[in-house]
Amino acid sequence: MTKRAPAILVLEDGRVFHGEAYGAVGETLGEAVFSTGMTGYQETLTDPSYHRQIVAMTSPHIGNTGVNDEDDESARVWVAGFVVRQPSRIASNWRAKRSLEDELATQGVVGICGVDTRALTRHLRERGSMRAGISSVDTNPQRLLAKVLASPPMAGANLIADVTTREPYTVAAASGDPVLTVAAIDYGIKRNTPRRMAERGIETRVLPASSTVDEVLAQKPDAVFLSNGPGDPATADLSLIKGLLESGTPIFGICFGNQLLGRALGLDTFKLRYGHRGINQPVLDKATGKVEVTAHNHGFAVKAPAAPSVETPYGTAEVSHVCLNDDVVEGLRLTRDGKTIAFSVQYHPEAAAGPHDADYLFDRLVTLAEGAR
Amino acid sequence: MVERAHNTPGPSRELLSDADIGRVVDRIAHQILEKTRGARDVTLLGIPTRGVPLAVRLAERIRSFEGVEVPHGALDVTLYRDDLRLRGARPLGPTSVPAGGIDGRRVILVDDVLYSGRTVRAALNALYDIGRPLQVQLAVLVDRGHRELPIRADYVGKNIPTAHSEKVSVLLRETDERDAVVLHGGDL
Repeated sequence: MTKRAPAILVLEDGRVFHGEAYGAVGETLGEAVFSTGMTGYQETLTDPSYHRQIVAMTSPHIGNTGVNDEDDESARVWVAGFVVRQPSRIASNWRAKRSLEDELATQGVVGICGVDTRALTRHLRERGSMRAGISSVDTNPQRLLAKVLASPPMAGANLIADVTTREPYTVAAASGDPVLTVAAIDYGIKRNTPRRMAERGIETRVLPASSTVDEVLAQKPDAVFLSNGPGDPATADLSLIKGLLESGTPIFGICFGNQLLGRALGLDTFKLRYGHRGINQPVLDKATGKVEVTAHNHGFAVKAPAAPSVETPYGTAEVSHVCLNDDVVEGLRLTRDGKTIAFSVQYHPEAAAGPHDADYLFDRLVTLAEGAR
Repeated sequence: MVERAHNTPGPSRELLSDADIGRVVDRIAHQILEKTRGARDVTLLGIPTRGVPLAVRLAERIRSFEGVEVPHGALDVTLYRDDLRLRGARPLGPTSVPAGGIDGRRVILVDDVLYSGRTVRAALNALYDIGRPLQVQLAVLVDRGHRELPIRADYVGKNIPTAHSEKVSVLLRETDERDAVVLHGGDL
């Protein structure tokens, strides 16, 4: 085994972690966050919501199942940097096609290993997510810190144009003629979302985020899906969503889509101290009292309104789901005349990776779209 | 009570290696930082013999992880043991309480092996002759079971289910030639 180059991880507040190069050798900047998922690193790496973020895995042993050709959530690795405690020396899984480190190196993703990720996680939990840099070419902490401090913060970042599809494309229903058509606005969509819809006979037309109301409605969708994605929701243009709400088209949103729906309804969003990233977050469905264990990946959230329900120009908005760890808003519902016309969740029912507790939300989408016919 | 039968005949097996002990001490240091929210009011007191170097190591790890200086010392419990009259005279160990005492401090007792719980009981009595801590916690490298008192550890390096006939030896570089945890005797 070749000897690894020394590498450093420098946080915005000056804390330095020493380790060794992992993946590509180089230098990278981003927002340092941690993910608590013990499995699913391939989905994490390829999730566009992690764009411009340096992800530290709290699980200490990463890479043991290698990389396969089926689990990517997009066409490339999106994380800006990857921090692991101990990389697996071999990949051992029947689906594995190559090692994780080779994949990271091929895609030019700079990482660091041998870092005390527990100390790093505690640091980020107590002081909040912050900008960071990894370098395995220049291990002078002062020089890297200067670059970190000069990099743009995540709050106020509009990253939609970086991740959205340039051309519209269609994901066909899993079998037979489509039962329903859903127009998906791509703010950084994960592949598993159209897949979950396809299983229910939905044809998904994925559209660029810059689409106009007319372009979306020209698809004659039964419902519109607002996807997950990276960046600060406060920077996004809401005219499309407001136009769609006016048109009466049923809307379903996930993650960033939930934040945008909230903002379009006049609710505020804010940056969480260290966010929710992992696959075992408990969420309460306020309507049924049922608790789901869910996959999360969000650094921003909708601010809970003071009243249980809020009257908006489009109907009555209310918080449908909350996180049991910290009472953060995890879902919204918009009703008009006692009928649900839009709903969204902050977490990831498509669960890639993660538990399938929230899969029923796609059935609710079918009900919503059919009910609007 | 701690068994230190380094010369016990019969088969023996190394349960924790040098590297394992390093990792375990690292983890306990992390857990102390997390459970005491930054370890700012913590005082570590090692129970002689091997609890003392363990307390030193924990303080050193906590300093390297978070830059927090944790006062540490030693607490000899010999005169507080309930078996003093049952056995012959024994040498006293050192007691050194850090400057500032233990009043209002979160004291973490550190020992190598937790067995009957009688040593910890003696340590609690010794402690309360010195002052009134805010809280007392217990960190041990090995919990081998067979408690005879209602005592449990807050931080455990490794749980090792044992038989009474077995003996657990903790070796530390500061007092022995190497770092290891060795199980002797029993049906290996």
